[in-house]
Amino acid sequence: MQKYWHDYFVKNGKTLGIGLLLAVLFWIVILVIMPQLFMVDFSFRANVVDARQWGTDAHYYTLEHYKYMLYGSANASGEYNTVDLSVFGRTILAAIFVTLIDLILCYPVAYYLAHVAKGGWGRLMVLALIIPFWVNELLRAFSFKIMFGANGVINNFLIWLGILDQPYDFIFEGVALYAGLSYAYILLMIFPIYNAIESLDKNQIEAARDMGASTWKIHRRVVIPHAKPGISSGATMVFMLSLGALAAPQILGGPSSLWFTQIIYQAFNNAGNWARGSAYAIVLLVTSIIFVLIVMKVFKVKFGDIAR
Amino acid sequence: MTSDRVRKFFTLFFVLGFFFYLFGPLIIMALTAFNSSAFPRVTPWECFSVEWFSVLANDDKLVQGLRNSIFISLGVVALSVPLGLAGALMLSQVKDRVRPWYYTIVISPILVPGVVLGISTLLFWDRIGSMFGASRDSFFYNGFFLTIMGHATFISAYTMLIFISRLQRFDSVQEEAALDLGATHVQTFRKILLPFLKPAIGSAAVLAFLASFENYNTTVFTILSESTITTFLAAKVRHGINPSVSALAVSIVVITLLGAALHEMLKRRELKAAKESDMIAKGKLKEHSKNVKRGFFAQPALYMILAVFVSGIGTTYFAGTMGVGECKAQVKAEKYIRVQESIRKQKEKAMFRDAAKKALAPAPAAITKPEEDKSKRPGVSSSFGNIYSTENLGGLAGSKDEKSEEPKKEEKKDDAGFGGMFAPSNLKNQSGSE
Repeated sequence: MQKYWHDYFVKNGKTLGIGLLLAVLFWIVILVIMPQLFMVDFSFRANVVDARQWGTDAHYYTLEHYKYMLYGSANASGEYNTVDLSVFGRTILAAIFVTLIDLILCYPVAYYLAHVAKGGWGRLMVLALIIPFWVNELLRAFSFKIMFGANGVINNFLIWLGILDQPYDFIFEGVALYAGLSYAYILLMIFPIYNAIESLDKNQIEAARDMGASTWKIHRRVVIPHAKPGISSGATMVFMLSLGALAAPQILGGPSSLWFTQIIYQAFNNAGNWARGSAYAIVLLVTSIIFVLIVMKVFKVKFGDIAR
Repeated sequence: MTSDRVRKFFTLFFVLGFFFYLFGPLIIMALTAFNSSAFPRVTPWECFSVEWFSVLANDDKLVQGLRNSIFISLGVVALSVPLGLAGALMLSQVKDRVRPWYYTIVISPILVPGVVLGISTLLFWDRIGSMFGASRDSFFYNGFFLTIMGHATFISAYTMLIFISRLQRFDSVQEEAALDLGATHVQTFRKILLPFLKPAIGSAAVLAFLASFENYNTTVFTILSESTITTFLAAKVRHGINPSVSALAVSIVVITLLGAALHEMLKRRELKAAKESDMIAKGKLKEHSKNVKRGFFAQPALYMILAVFVSGIGTTYFAGTMGVGECKAQVKAEKYIRVQESIRKQKEKAMFRDAAKKALAPAPAAITKPEEDKSKRPGVSSSFGNIYSTENLGGLAGSKDEKSEEPKKEEKKDDAGFGGMFAPSNLKNQSGSE
């Protein structure tokens, strides 16, 4: 160990070596690790309103916030906290649904851009994809609110076609939210898949075709296995971002499609119950970690392949 | 062969549909910013106008939020570029056994939900502040400070990734040579490493600025009582929408696109610089200085883009200010005529009905029938379903006050501009969405 530090300072010099070390330590300890640990600690303590009571006896350790998520408050009628639990379950299911939709939409387009479209057009299309990527998430949600509103383009169009005779409330039904979420993160799905497919040697596809493989079989046996790291990376990013989305559900969500992050937000901003909010945030964090671990196991990829 | 053609057609159709899906909503949103209608929409188109942009420019809260956002983004750039650089330099120096762990820890903030990052940052500094007994005015409770810290946590990981890919092409022999020739470590860092990293620093800074400027999920928890452009926007969108939000959206999109173009350009330059350093390494040094010395504004493409951009804005502005008043007056007049027309029709029908009733039915039946109609009303889908209700009759026969109220109501309904405009549900939807 001593030798390591000796070599380290010989390589970097004293000033730079210390500066480098301090910067990295500041980032890892102060910015990344400590806040998470404090949040974990906080979630296991009683809720105190006054910050001066923190760490005193009034701030005792308890499991009440996690219990609350499972069973609701002590004098509630039902056995389980059906409100929060159903929102949690629905959020996960909806995030998976959004991920699948994006995967289905993106895979053909990514394949097309990487192998079918040639030359200038293909490059221009890929460049064009970047534009919506840079537009703020809030604005993308807002544009969907305009489209799906009672007087929005979609309702007017459907009425004009004669399919509807009255505006359909897309926002209340949650359609707008799911469409908006898949729209918001679609580019995080398409770029990794595109990059993965692009690196596939075209000769492999042709060889498979020459041997008599059908299109379906070529994709299943050649292209998809090659694109696996891209698919897993895209799926993880889309799932995590949908799960942790706050802007789109706030703007596009109807009363029947509450998102789990909105419950956390309410705990902080409306109920003033920071402890419960952080307990719920931990639940969200643990769910995301479990999902990443599952993806790593199922797709047999490394963590570094996912976060790029 | 035909099946091949059909498949090709479908693929193309799918891809075009995909691009339509990507750009359609943005284009529609941009268009609504130029419609003079009080509700953001494209159909019915009223007047081309830029009035919503001037509404924006006079919004003090917006200007304040914009200023705060820029301040925070600059702070994040100043913090996360050095942190990302340090993280990237450290990666090659930690022990092999530790490296995967190190990488996982510094990369993980990218995958952690922004909400969680915001909450943990808020709690941590709040707690530290109370441990030190700091006063409420101190920086521990300052929204700007907290937001910069929260953003730097994950944006440093973005910048680190940029630096890692740049450092992979760095030949450390250069450093060793400098050290052998007697340069200090700091000198070597400044004269060898930093110039090599310059393009990466540029693109990392732009990326950090944009990522911070756009962030909402983390900001909303850490900003406390201050406001940024994103929290302002979110509040505005949630509490009823009007076209000034679209105008804001258009402005932000234009600014971000310029920033993104800058980012792309810096990335291109970086690639070019990488090629050049490869050439140098191979000993083909010729014309090297000529290429590098070309400044940022020496690029004709950039000039062209700027010129098109400025003239585009100018044209739009003039087109949007000229003739708006006349157009609006015309639209208003048209509306007025339509309203008058419908009132006249209503009156005629009501009078006809009234007369018919008087002639046909005895008095008691005339009283009960309207009541039946009233109870059925929500289910009636025909355009003039509620004309026969008691209220309408009352309005016709009643005092003048009620009469003068009637056209106002209708003007609001008329905004829909479509069939079935007098259905009660329409009125409800309109007020619900506004």
